[in-house]
Amino acid sequence: MRADRWAQGIFQAAFGLFIAVWTVFLAVIAVGAWHFVVINGWITPLLSTHWSPLAGHYGMLAFILGSITVTALALILAAPWVLALAVAGGRILRGTMQQTFIQLLTVFVAVPSVIYGWWGLTIIVPLVRRLSGTSGFGPLSAGVVLALMIVPTFSIMALHAVRQVPSALVEGSLALGATDDQTLWHMVLPSAWPALAQAFLVAVGRALGETIAVQMVIGGQSRLTSLLKPSATLTSQLLTDLALMPPKTPGHDALDFMAIWLVLLMAVLVGLQYRMRRGLRG
Amino acid sequence: MVEKRLTKREGVSTILDIRVQELEVWYGPAKALENVSLHLEQGAVLALIGPSGCGKSTFLRVLNRMIDQVPTVRVKGSVHIGAFNVLDDDIDVTALRRTVGMVFQQPNPFPMTIFDNVAYGPRLAGVRSATKLRQIVEDSLKKSALWDEVRGKLRRSAMTLSGGQQQRLCMARALAVHPHVLLLDEPTASLDPVSTAKIEELIVQFKGRYTMVIVTHNLQQAARVSDLVAFFEQGHLVEMGPTHDIFTAPQERRTEEFLTGRFE
Amino acid sequence: MNEQPLNLKRLHPTRHGRTAHGLLAALAIVALLLLLSVLLPLVWEALPALTAPFLWGKGQGAIGPEVLNTLSLVGGSELLSFPLALLVGLYRVEWVKSQGPLLRVFDQFATTMLSVPSIVIGLVVVDVAIARWHWPVSTMTGIVALALMNWPLSVAYVVEALQQIPGRYREGSWALGASRWQTVRYLILPLAWPQMVEQAGLATARLMGETAVLIYTAGVNAAVHWSLWGPGESLAVHLWLLRTEGVGQNAQAQAAATGVVLLAFVVLVLWGSKRMAQWLKNA
Ligand SMILES: Nc1ncnc2c1ncn2[C@@H]1O[C@H](COP(=O)(O)OP(=O)(O)OP(=O)(O)O)[C@@H](O)[C@H]1O
Ligand SMILES: [Mg+2]
Repeated sequence: MRADRWAQGIFQAAFGLFIAVWTVFLAVIAVGAWHFVVINGWITPLLSTHWSPLAGHYGMLAFILGSITVTALALILAAPWVLALAVAGGRILRGTMQQTFIQLLTVFVAVPSVIYGWWGLTIIVPLVRRLSGTSGFGPLSAGVVLALMIVPTFSIMALHAVRQVPSALVEGSLALGATDDQTLWHMVLPSAWPALAQAFLVAVGRALGETIAVQMVIGGQSRLTSLLKPSATLTSQLLTDLALMPPKTPGHDALDFMAIWLVLLMAVLVGLQYRMRRGLRG
Repeated sequence: MVEKRLTKREGVSTILDIRVQELEVWYGPAKALENVSLHLEQGAVLALIGPSGCGKSTFLRVLNRMIDQVPTVRVKGSVHIGAFNVLDDDIDVTALRRTVGMVFQQPNPFPMTIFDNVAYGPRLAGVRSATKLRQIVEDSLKKSALWDEVRGKLRRSAMTLSGGQQQRLCMARALAVHPHVLLLDEPTASLDPVSTAKIEELIVQFKGRYTMVIVTHNLQQAARVSDLVAFFEQGHLVEMGPTHDIFTAPQERRTEEFLTGRFE
Repeated sequence: MNEQPLNLKRLHPTRHGRTAHGLLAALAIVALLLLLSVLLPLVWEALPALTAPFLWGKGQGAIGPEVLNTLSLVGGSELLSFPLALLVGLYRVEWVKSQGPLLRVFDQFATTMLSVPSIVIGLVVVDVAIARWHWPVSTMTGIVALALMNWPLSVAYVVEALQQIPGRYREGSWALGASRWQTVRYLILPLAWPQMVEQAGLATARLMGETAVLIYTAGVNAAVHWSLWGPGESLAVHLWLLRTEGVGQNAQAQAAATGVVLLAFVVLVLWGSKRMAQWLKNA
């Protein structure tokens, strides 16, 4: 019983520490962002594309649009492969083959993003350059790299979603004379839908938050004019400007302002995930 | 075209007989059925009885090739249902499964509306016309004696129905593709007595219209609904005969022991 | 069982109505090849630089210090964050009794924190540890940053592993008069270890490859030294720096070679954790 009281105390302390640390974490960003908002307002920076922090112009619209573009592009490019991998691993392969397949995908989940970035610089950027005659850096290259990067994570989650569909439903469908294809489209995928949507939201978060692989191939210009011209995302700009504007310099608070939007976006995505999960149960 | 085929088949109302010869089924290295031969006349009701794990479900799932779902399965022998050579490689499994409907032990309504549940099969078979679909749904629900309970509620989720209603919905769903053979794997095992009675009533009503094979652990049920009884044990068909004969004068000692509960 | 006779027949699923499955299978194979196409050129480009002096030498360009830094960064941060995550996860699943809204708030909070982009964590660590506390850009700062990243992630998989243990096991244990702590210590933890170890392996592998959070915390310099307060460039950061800012004809091959070494560590960690999980499961 004494051990119990001790254990409870230690566990409680760790739990409290967790909440405290992350609250402080959020507070640090919030304070920085607050300083920024007091001086610059919060709507103008979001609607302006004029970014020259050393001159006091903090228009972030280009980065916001850049993030949205790159993320959307990556998800669209990744979707067919994810569907294929999920169906192959969840409905076609069985037994040890299935396990091996999942293992293989797991290895790719663990491949560092800097290596995907390397691949982008070495293969994709030159390819885009050759095909389009531009520099090759830009949202298109970033979208391609990001797409390949999220495919393993996304497809493992989608695979599990597909696999979780009760066999009673699948057999019920087949027993009515539905072909395997019909069962896939009309029974398996609709039944897996809430879990698939959750996987999708996680993938969106991954894509939005990815920094290094994007930064390596997007070119790092603070404007968004074309898919083929160098531009930037919120995260890639954070990475490059942290060197330019270290703490206590005037522009530094702008980075906190960008960071808080990223955190808020993640909170929204997580909130949606939890709603889907509840829908799944109810 | 498919639609036409469906309608035509209904008009002709062919009932199919089942012929099984020296059927053997293995799951990987384990034998599940050995040398099973039987013949079931058109429109008859066969009850399969036997201890747990003796291969009743396996036998049933061979008849509509649901057994294909198990990748390690191997078979020998022949099974004919009407003109279908069931174990043939080139068989149109889709057509077979439309002809040979199945109802499972656990009611497995699809997570959609009552209407969509029943319309699922016909839709995939190519029926597009809304009036035609409504007609099929109404007919099937009437046949499975669910119509009076769900009319006007067809847009509700099937999950809101009670267990017994769900099972009758699954019956209606199977009937909606106009099968000639019905396979029922312990259809009342998870139901209360009242719902069970309703299902049994349906089976008796369907006699002569559908050839039926029903697996049951309830011997009284077998006696009430079936024309013929087959007793399985450890993958063997021990004995098959008219229900009355089996229950009053079984030929085999094992059958008698099973029926009188002296079975270990 | 008796021998399986030879004249048994396999039931071939009909090809009819499986066109989409065939197409998707083909697409899946292409997808796997695409993924492999990331690794093959890496190995190919790395070959000229994968020499003994590069791997083990002390001279210019050798990656010995980076390897050391990577190991201390990852090891240090796991040592710091995993026990804390274990405690938080255990408290969350085994002690908190209510299923109320507060618990949901906590879950969403923790999940949000694990999705915070790593560069944001880097930003905060720079703000607090380096700017306010005047820590140097060093291995130690990098360890803190990585630990921050790993903490919520580890809480998530610990919680998942614990929640997979059916509640009736606990009830059975309590019914025997075991206390909560005894139940955790002798029943829950042994059951949950294998899965937690495997997931920890995956998390560790991810830490090894983490770049964005380390650039401004552990820095982009390395030297042979044994202090946690010295410059702490990791393999991943080294690769990033060489590939984006590297000059000299050998830089590209060295970048690729660094990537191969990094990948080798990642695979080793995954394999090791998998074996360990297997061993724990059988023990
Ligand atoms: N998918 C499968 N893989 C391997 N073996 C199986 C599989 N399905 C059934 N078996 C085995 O085949 C034998 C017959 O099983 P079957 O399900 O046909 O029995 P049953 O008579 O329906 O039993 P119950 O009355 O319990 O439903 C059993 O020994 C069972 O363990
Ligand atoms: Mg059975």
